[in-house]
Amino acid sequence: MEPDHERELVERCRRGEVGAFEELVDQYKNLVFAMIMRTLPDRSNAEDVAQDVFLRIHRGLPYFRGEARLSTWIYRIVVNVCTQDRGRGTPPLSLDDADARVSTPAAVDRHAENLELRDRLEKAIAQLPAQYRLLIAAHYLRGVQYEELAEAMGLPLGTVKTQLHRAKRQLRVLLETDLK
Amino acid sequence: MTMCDDVLDAVELIASGELTPDEQTAAHLTTCASCASALEAARRLEALLRQRPVAAPPPQFTSRTMARIRRARWRNEQVIDWVFNVVLVAVAVMVAAGLWTIASRSGLTSVNSEALDLLATATKTIVRRVSPSLPLYALATALLVSALGIWWWAERDTAI
Repeated sequence: MEPDHERELVERCRRGEVGAFEELVDQYKNLVFAMIMRTLPDRSNAEDVAQDVFLRIHRGLPYFRGEARLSTWIYRIVVNVCTQDRGRGTPPLSLDDADARVSTPAAVDRHAENLELRDRLEKAIAQLPAQYRLLIAAHYLRGVQYEELAEAMGLPLGTVKTQLHRAKRQLRVLLETDLK
Repeated sequence: MTMCDDVLDAVELIASGELTPDEQTAAHLTTCASCASALEAARRLEALLRQRPVAAPPPQFTSRTMARIRRARWRNEQVIDWVFNVVLVAVAVMVAAGLWTIASRSGLTSVNSEALDLLATATKTIVRRVSPSLPLYALATALLVSALGIWWWAERDTAI
């Protein structure tokens, strides 16, 4: 969304214009939901968490000063919601659990192999710290910039890049045998 | 730090296209099977991450979110109303207590007791005259209370 359109939408929401906040939800629901789905280890309550994000946006809009872009502020709320108590205490998933390590016969097709690999990738991502999961989730969503992520997380740009780099290295180590 | 350490440190950046390997690194990657394998793994990981499916929210997400926001807002308004009413009652009690104190200090309470007797007599007379119509008044009051109850219930879900 263009910055001018963002500002106008925020103003309309603040004035309490009918339908303005609904428009905001429609604009950002895909991004918010995708980030949450990719970040939370337990996806069954992703809709609740996404609604929490919009509830916080609704409460916070009167205090939003517009110093950052609306999208950056929304990312920050997603970061806060995802890194709070949710996701903590999630038992680490084993990449070698029985379901994941079904031995595939030699004749199994490439598609099935890819599906298994994707499943193992998701399990490996779930083992990363919440901050790393979020970075991996957001960085590979179209339209999310490094700079916005850094601002949303309150981290220097270099730190965000380093953390993303470390997250990917951890994933490569976790999936070492699968990626060969 | 060995050449392998340097290269292994950079494979993610090379795989994502953020770093172009210099001549020395490129030469190392052609001769070191371990580093070449790590780069291949990093490239495969990069491709997998780019292909990760993007989950879409459920079809009713916006309407359900708006309903939740309305409920939260209604609850907040109820709390504010309740606090306002409590403050109002407290102020009324304090004003009444103040007036009573002023009246008792200025000797007006003796006059007040006579006035209260007069008021009680008048109330009894009114009740005696109105009593035949009491069922009608009770019915009207019940209807009014029901209407207010229905309005309160309906506003709970539609208010924003």
